[in-house]
Amino acid sequence: MAGPHIAQEDATAPGESWEPRIIAFLCYWCSYTGADNAGTARLKYPPNVDIIRVMCSGRIEPELITTAFSQGADGVMVCGCHIGDCHYISGNHKTMARMPLLKHTLIALGIEPERFVHEWVSAAEGEKFARLVREVTANVRRLGPLDWPQRMRERGVDHGMDLKPWGERV
Amino acid sequence: MTETPGTYTESGKEEVTIPRIGVFICHCGGNISDVVDVKRVAEETGTLPGVIFSTTHHFVCSDPGQSLIEQKIRELGLDRVIVAACSPSLHQLTFRRTVARAGLNPYLFEHVNLREQVSWVSENNELSTQKAIRLVRAAVGRIRHLVPLDKRRIPIHPEALVVGGGVAGLVAVRDFAQRGMRVTLVEKRSFLGGHVARRHTLFPTGEDARAMMNSLIDEVVHHPLVTVLTKATILGSEGVVGNFHTRIRIDPRGVNEHLSNSNDAIAACPEHTANGFDYGLSQRKAIFLPYPGCYPPIPAIDWHLCTKCGKCVQAANGKGIDLNEEPREIILHSGVIVLATGCDPYEPQYGEYGYGVSPGVIRLQQLIRLLDPEGPTRGELPGNGKGPLRIAFIHCVGARQIEGVNQRQPDGRVRDYCARTCCTATLHVAVEIKRRYPTAVIVDFYQDIRTYGRGHEVYYEHASEAGTLFVRYDPYQPPRVERNPAGDSPLLVKSRDMLTGGIEVEMPADMVVLATGMVPHDISDLVFMYHCAIGVDGFLLEVHPKLRPVELAVAGMFLAGTCQGPMDITESCSAASAATSKAAALIAQGQVEMDPFIARVDETRCTGCRTCLTVCPYDAISRDETRGIAVVSEARCTGCGTCAAACPSNAIQQDGFNDAEVMAELKALLVK
Repeated sequence: MAGPHIAQEDATAPGESWEPRIIAFLCYWCSYTGADNAGTARLKYPPNVDIIRVMCSGRIEPELITTAFSQGADGVMVCGCHIGDCHYISGNHKTMARMPLLKHTLIALGIEPERFVHEWVSAAEGEKFARLVREVTANVRRLGPLDWPQRMRERGVDHGMDLKPWGERV
Repeated sequence: MTETPGTYTESGKEEVTIPRIGVFICHCGGNISDVVDVKRVAEETGTLPGVIFSTTHHFVCSDPGQSLIEQKIRELGLDRVIVAACSPSLHQLTFRRTVARAGLNPYLFEHVNLREQVSWVSENNELSTQKAIRLVRAAVGRIRHLVPLDKRRIPIHPEALVVGGGVAGLVAVRDFAQRGMRVTLVEKRSFLGGHVARRHTLFPTGEDARAMMNSLIDEVVHHPLVTVLTKATILGSEGVVGNFHTRIRIDPRGVNEHLSNSNDAIAACPEHTANGFDYGLSQRKAIFLPYPGCYPPIPAIDWHLCTKCGKCVQAANGKGIDLNEEPREIILHSGVIVLATGCDPYEPQYGEYGYGVSPGVIRLQQLIRLLDPEGPTRGELPGNGKGPLRIAFIHCVGARQIEGVNQRQPDGRVRDYCARTCCTATLHVAVEIKRRYPTAVIVDFYQDIRTYGRGHEVYYEHASEAGTLFVRYDPYQPPRVERNPAGDSPLLVKSRDMLTGGIEVEMPADMVVLATGMVPHDISDLVFMYHCAIGVDGFLLEVHPKLRPVELAVAGMFLAGTCQGPMDITESCSAASAATSKAAALIAQGQVEMDPFIARVDETRCTGCRTCLTVCPYDAISRDETRGIAVVSEARCTGCGTCAAACPSNAIQQDGFNDAEVMAELKALLVK
């Protein structure tokens, strides 16, 4: 049952068996429903993106994303309702403020910008969601495995890079 | 991240309770199992720590499937259940109920989406099965941290708010009052009655429109449970289903019941403007009364026009008019809201069929005002002074428009829908004109005649019998209205007649009447405030056109009448009654059940920094100044979790999505 077309795409990636591991945080009301919409429309996208559902994109704290990277994710997506559409009035305004800031931080910490994608996906935008997944997967595949803790050690930053989530150290 | 004390952790240090998890993988009759190797998913996840039972089933949502879950919970003492099937929006509730029937807390259930987000979007291969395994594994990781939760039950305030004082709004208010419920009607304009009060007779019964409206208004305004607010604008809204708090500004009327000689006061006013009641065919003053018998029966002052010159006050001997009244604001508490904001007749663009260029080109609504014995011409049509009156009707103006043929509207839309009422209304008027002016020549230019309603077709027959000529035009080559060079009638309508093979016909006309469609009334402020869904046509969108036709997607909000789409009066009234029934059914439940995913403050960790107060979209968090910590109002919290993400000391957690739960899900996904 090997996926032939994926194996071909995989030709440039280091290691035959490597598959990008991408985590997507989606708000329930718009983006998760948008992803469902892609399914209902039978739009095909690569099976590399695993979805975590939260009620509002405002719940997605930066720590979840850094943890994802430190635990082995090669890419992270964050999707929420378009501005003005938030089920919780303005939860996504906080997402809009947090994510660009986080992106700068991640870049500074050695993560390529293509690995972290923040986009609005409405409940009707199944096509947009499928397109995003295809794009992100292709970009991450091109960039190869991340292994962020190793990358930080190579840069001489050892300290804290097992990145136990903050709360567990307390 | 804090682990919930007493739950299972990887290290096993705090392993006080060991969960007993059951995993049920659904084939969905092949929808999932054709792509995902469900047997393997069940086998591999069955070995995860805490999972003591895993199986597959053809349809877990079926009765046998649900019975299996119940049976296994009882038999094996499962205390947590995972179903991997379709989207949670479809069956999460079903399975929560299933586990509850077996005595388990419904929030110790986790739903995995293998259909919409795996099998339907992936190719049939190993990678899809691996993704399915990861997702179930994540659910296993997460479910170990779940704690029993209870649905929140919030009492519903048994009062209704109806927005819009047209026929639909009035019927809704009457129905609420008849059910013994307190109801407030909010009307933005100065008088009730909407568009129906401007009609003369109604199809299909020929009933007097204003008499009907007056009896309805009378019933509404004198009911002890009804409050009517005119000149009232909704400024803002807070709260959710069961407890809406609506902020309303009531503009001063300027006139009160002590005004005895209103005619003198109106006559004294020096200001004029086009009278909207007559669709601009007449003039009114700054202090005005649209028609005798209207409600409220006292004049109102148009503050945009009034210069506060005081002439009306003099004419009224200083009694009953106060030009310095101030607007006031109120907050209205209601459990449900019915929107009956109505529609506007389509306003043709300048030059569309000669509209605005020639005074002889008018809209159907204006013609109806001209035929009204209480209208601007006392029911007389302006004659041409020469011979029989020649009237051309053009159908489908601002309706059934075609992109590329008709000009785009200022809002960028093409009005491509049928307005549904104008065919019958046009024929109704044509019959009436023939009755009053038997010599009149009437030619009706149409695309299709759609007299679809009960008792409507008879108008087509009567109009034909009375000698109305029907010319069917090609929608791709609509009729043209030009100045008539011959001079016997001022206008000339040219069209191709598709009934006679497309030959060109010309008709001199004294009056060209455009049967204009309906466009939604501009309620963009309300749409923004309540997050209502809007259809592509610009009208408000119901949840489901057949199963939930009068409900908005916003819980506790309902739709009545033409704010939802073109309807005739009969249909508007049915819709209003339906909306009231649904709203009353909701109120009768007494309380609303809400998901328990609210925020909780760990008082030992909270530093009282106020960060959560600034991010909460619902002002649900306040600071207890004596203890110096944040306090969440359970009734106001809607469970978005924004505060949990913002809290710098991880003191606020969202039930059902706390750090331990989401982190466990994330880490289980990323296990190598």
